[in-house]
Parts: sequence; C-alpha cells; structure tokens
Amino acid sequence: MELFWNTIAEYNRNTWIAQCAIALAGLILVVLLFHRPTERVKRAMKYYIVLLNAWITVVYHLWFCHERPYNYATTLIWAIITAIWVYDVATGYTTFERNRKHGKLATLFMLLPLAFPAISAARGMQFPMMTSPVMPSSVALFTIGFMLAFSQRVNLFIVLFICHWALVGASKIYVYDIPEDALLACAIVPAIYIFLREYVTANVSAHSKPDPRTANILLITLSSGIGLIFAALMLHPLLQ
Amino acid sequence: MMEMVLNILSDGLFAAVAAIGFGAISDPPMRAFPRIALLAAAGHALRYTLMTYFGVDIATGSLCASLTIGFGSMMLGRRIHCPTTVMSIPALLPMIPGMFAYKSMFSIIMFFQKIDDTAAAATYLDSALRNGMITVFVILMLAAGATLPILMFPSKAYTMTRRKEYPERPNDN
Amino acid sequence: MQTPNNAHNELAATVGFIARYASYLMGSGVHTSRVVRNSRRIGDALDVEVNLAVFPKSIIVSGTDTAGETFSRVVTIPACPIDFERNADLSALSWEAHDCKLTLAEIEKRYDQLCSKPRLDPMLVMILAGLANASFCRLFGGDFTAMGVVFTATLFGFFVKQKLAQRGMNHYLVFIVSAFAASLLSSMSLMLNTTSDVALATSVLYLIPGVPLINGFIDIIEGHILTGISRLTAAIMLIACIAIGLSATLMMVKSELL
Repeated sequence: MELFWNTIAEYNRNTWIAQCAIALAGLILVVLLFHRPTERVKRAMKYYIVLLNAWITVVYHLWFCHERPYNYATTLIWAIITAIWVYDVATGYTTFERNRKHGKLATLFMLLPLAFPAISAARGMQFPMMTSPVMPSSVALFTIGFMLAFSQRVNLFIVLFICHWALVGASKIYVYDIPEDALLACAIVPAIYIFLREYVTANVSAHSKPDPRTANILLITLSSGIGLIFAALMLHPLLQ
Repeated sequence: MMEMVLNILSDGLFAAVAAIGFGAISDPPMRAFPRIALLAAAGHALRYTLMTYFGVDIATGSLCASLTIGFGSMMLGRRIHCPTTVMSIPALLPMIPGMFAYKSMFSIIMFFQKIDDTAAAATYLDSALRNGMITVFVILMLAAGATLPILMFPSKAYTMTRRKEYPERPNDN
Repeated sequence: MQTPNNAHNELAATVGFIARYASYLMGSGVHTSRVVRNSRRIGDALDVEVNLAVFPKSIIVSGTDTAGETFSRVVTIPACPIDFERNADLSALSWEAHDCKLTLAEIEKRYDQLCSKPRLDPMLVMILAGLANASFCRLFGGDFTAMGVVFTATLFGFFVKQKLAQRGMNHYLVFIVSAFAASLLSSMSLMLNTTSDVALATSVLYLIPGVPLINGFIDIIEGHILTGISRLTAAIMLIACIAIGLSATLMMVKSELL
C-alpha cells in the first residue's frame, strides 16, 4: 500500500504541470465538441483520446509505476487499449455524432475526474500523495462519459475493458485504501445499462432469439445483477 | 449438516449457471434451458456429494453424475421434443475437466522448457500424464454415462423428436 | 438406359438434398450415428435407400431407389458453429417427413425455414458465458472478488473471440489470442488480495471445446471411431492453443510458469 501511494506521489510531483495541461486541453476540447462540433475538433478529440491513453500507458504505468509488482501486465493492457483507440481512429469506427439522450449524465461523468483530487483533499491527503484527474481510473471515467455523449455506436472493446478496470478498482478500494475508485464503479453500472439498452433496441426484433420481451427482462436482471455485484464488492469487506 | 446441505445446493446452483452459459455458446433451443439447468445442477451436485462426503474418485463420480443426466434427459426431453444429447451435452459441460486438460498441455509445454533439468522434467512429465489420464477418463465416463440410456432404450431414445400428431398443414403446394 | 430420365433426376435431387442435410448436421456438431439415422429416415420417407460413409471432412452419400438405380455424391462438411437448436429441429423434420410422407419439395421448404431461424443473440451468449465462467471459478474454489474479475475478463475474451472469428481469422489463432486476452485481464487479480491462481486458471476455461470432446467419445462408443477420433484431435489442438495463450500471460506476469 505504501508503495502504491508512493508511486502516485512521485508521479504527481513530477508531472503536475503536464497533468494540468492535459486536463485543461480535455476541458477545452469537450466544450468545443459540445458547442461547435466541426470536423477539425472531432479529429483533435480522437487524437487527444489516443494521447491520453498513451500517456497513461507510458508515463504512468511504465515509467512511474515500474516499482509496483506486475506493472508489465497493466502496462500491456493499457497499451492494448491505446492500440484499440488507434485502430478506432484509423478506421473511423466511433463516429463523433452527438447522442443527446444522455447529455446530463455524460457531462457529469466527464466532469467527475476533476472531483478525484477534491475527494482526496477532503479525506485529508496532501498534494503529491493524492489522486489526480489524469490517472487510469479517472481517464476511464472520462472515457465513459465521453462515449455516452458522443457515440451512436460504441466500441465494445473499450466498454468491456473499462468495466473490467472498474471491477478491479472496486475490489482494490480496501486493499490500497483508495475510495476514489468507487466513483468509476458507480458510473459504470448506469453506463452499461444504457449501452445494453441501446444494443437491445437496435438489434432485437420479433425475428431474433430471444424475443424482445425476454430480452428486456434479461436486460433488467443483468443490470441489477451487475449493480449488486459492484455494491457487494465495495461493501463486503465492511461487513466482515 | 446444515452446512453440508448449503454446500451441495450452492454447488448445484453454480453448476446450473455454468451449464446455461457454456451451453448457450452452442445455441440450444430456448425451451431446453430450464431443463439443462436442472439436469446440470442435479448431476454436478451428485458428483460433488459423492466426491466430498463419500470419498468416491472423480471418474466414478462423473459416471454416476452422467448416468443421472442421461436418464434425466430422456425423461425430460420427450415433452419438448428434444433429442437427449441436446440436453445432456450442455448439462455435462460443467463437468468437463477443462482444468486438468489444460494443465496437462501446460506441463508438456513446461517439459520442453526444462528438458535439461532431469528432475524438473520428470515432474512435468508425471503431471502431464496424470492430468491427461484424468481428462481422458473423466470425459469418457461422461460420454459413456450419457450414451448408456440411449443404448439401453434405443426405440425410446430415437423417437424423442417424433410428435404424436402434426398440426394440419395448409394444402397450398 | 431403360430408366426414364425424370426418375433419375428425382433420385439425384433426393440424394443431393440428403447430402446437404447430412453435411450440415455433421458440421453443426451432431454425433455421427444421429446424422446417419436421420438421413436414412428421410430417405425412407422418399422411398430411397440411403447409405452414408462419414469421414472427418466429407461424407459420401449413396441412394438407391425402388427401381434399383443408385446415385452417389461426395460432399464436404462445412465448418458451421455448433448448434443444438438445428440439431433438435432437423431431427424433428426427419420424423415429420417420415410420418407425414412429405414430398421432397415440402421437406426442402421446411429445411430452409428451419435453417433460417435466428441464432441466440451474440451479446447474450457473451454475457452468459461470462457468468458461466465466473461460477466455474466458484466451483474451483475462487472467492467473490476472483469471480468478478473472471466475469469481466471472460466478457472481454469472448468478445475478442467473436470479433476475430467474424473476420475469418484461423480459429487456432483466435483461440490463442482470446486465451491470452482473457488471462491477461484476469492477471489483474494478482494485485488484489484474492485467490488469483484460481482466477488466472479459470479465466480461459470458457474456451474449452466441451461439445466436441463429448461428441467425440459418443462417436467412439457408438462405433464411428474415425469421426470420433478426428473430433477429439481437433479439440485437443484447441486445448493446446489455450495453453499457449495462457502460458504467454504467465510468462509475462510471473516470469515463470505454474
């Protein structure tokens, strides 16, 4: 645990200027995308996402966390996600078409990364040794919000990966004393429900197996099931 | 006693979920799912009970479980017009010794990594053989148990999908 | 050539249909004796005596009509996904043909209808497979956290498998890659305070080709040893691929195996 927070402190101490710049750039890009979604802004946003993931891979995991055990696995996983984003950009899979249905939720999720340091401060942590907006969990949260807001069709690889990361995050709340990760876990459940509902409306018709009624029942059971799993993961050490 | 019952029930429950999930990969008819779950739960719980509380070995335990599943699928399949294998194979899937199968493959890979170190190589060879034997015989027992009812009552097993009466078909062709 | 030409054509059409029917059943993972039985039953309904020689990659179908003329065909077995619903439906079709004395045209029409039925939704299959693997993890003694990790790791791995298979990648490579993907994600459990060994080992078990393994042994028990052994061999190759994918992960995260 000490090692975990030490690496974070080291990371923050050395990169806080860059982190501020990244967060600011993200904020500007999001505002631009909401208000003036031109072709150039969209392209800039895609490059920004790729860069953000590459930053987490190289700077955070590979460089600053090299003392942590098993950091090669995490580095590789984030490298794969970066590669998926690069592929996404190259093939133009994610269209940056505004999906207005979930605007408020999406905005909330995209702003939540900024709340990470605030929560840490409220817990009484001091500057370098605290969570920041440019860390894996906050980046994942940002990605979720951003996918909710802008994509008619989502890249499921990314969603599934973030779901996995959220689950790992939820289970490491107590191991590493990092309750900030609960934010991501709380965000992923409604996001998954929304993504699945979009999938069901798009793909399930009378001529499909299972039929729409069963599909809806399954959808609701599954979402509440996932919600329960996350809740149990976050709460069960408390009960013991 | 209470704990034993709970263990057996939870074993059956998880086996049922596993059977539904692994069965779903092979696309069984929707109407077969509840029966698959029931059979898998019964079979796996039986094997668990035999192995944990009666000290039966894994091959015999699997044979008993697969016989249960085989006869059960014959009794349950008739009403929904499903061949016995459509229900028995998904119900057997949670008992497939996948862990042993890949452990034996794994030991073979390791054997070639450690081929110069005689002692380590012998350990891996032993592990490959042991896990491989368990895999082969457990699957053989599973298949045998599922087939035996068919071999015993062929006329019944072969007419599972036959209907007593067929709906009147429109004579338009 | 005494036989009138249209009798010959009829026989050819019947044998052609039975060849299509049998190869489709074989491809979608029905055990051999059932394929043979169903095909003969349909032949019976159409007054053609059908004999099948089943090989691992192809079937020889030969039909003899009441006039004693014989016609035979060799068909390649297509590589379909395993499908129990087709198994049940097409078996029922053979009884229907037999009991209602359907004509060839009617049987073909029913066959096309049954084959165009939708398959289980891929997303649902993915989620169910995830749940199944998580409960498997439980059966092998994994704890609650390990189950969660295995669940999401399996979702990811299964999605990788579906997408790669859709693109027509060689299925050995598909198995290696998706075993690697699932086990890599579940190696995250090493960071947590949980039964990570169980999580790592069970995360790839959704790939184990259980149906061909059982089918192979059923075939052998029922005397179709050739097809049985070929099914088992194919399954063993896939298991070897799973082991390769998993060992790649283990080499990386533990820098040693086991």
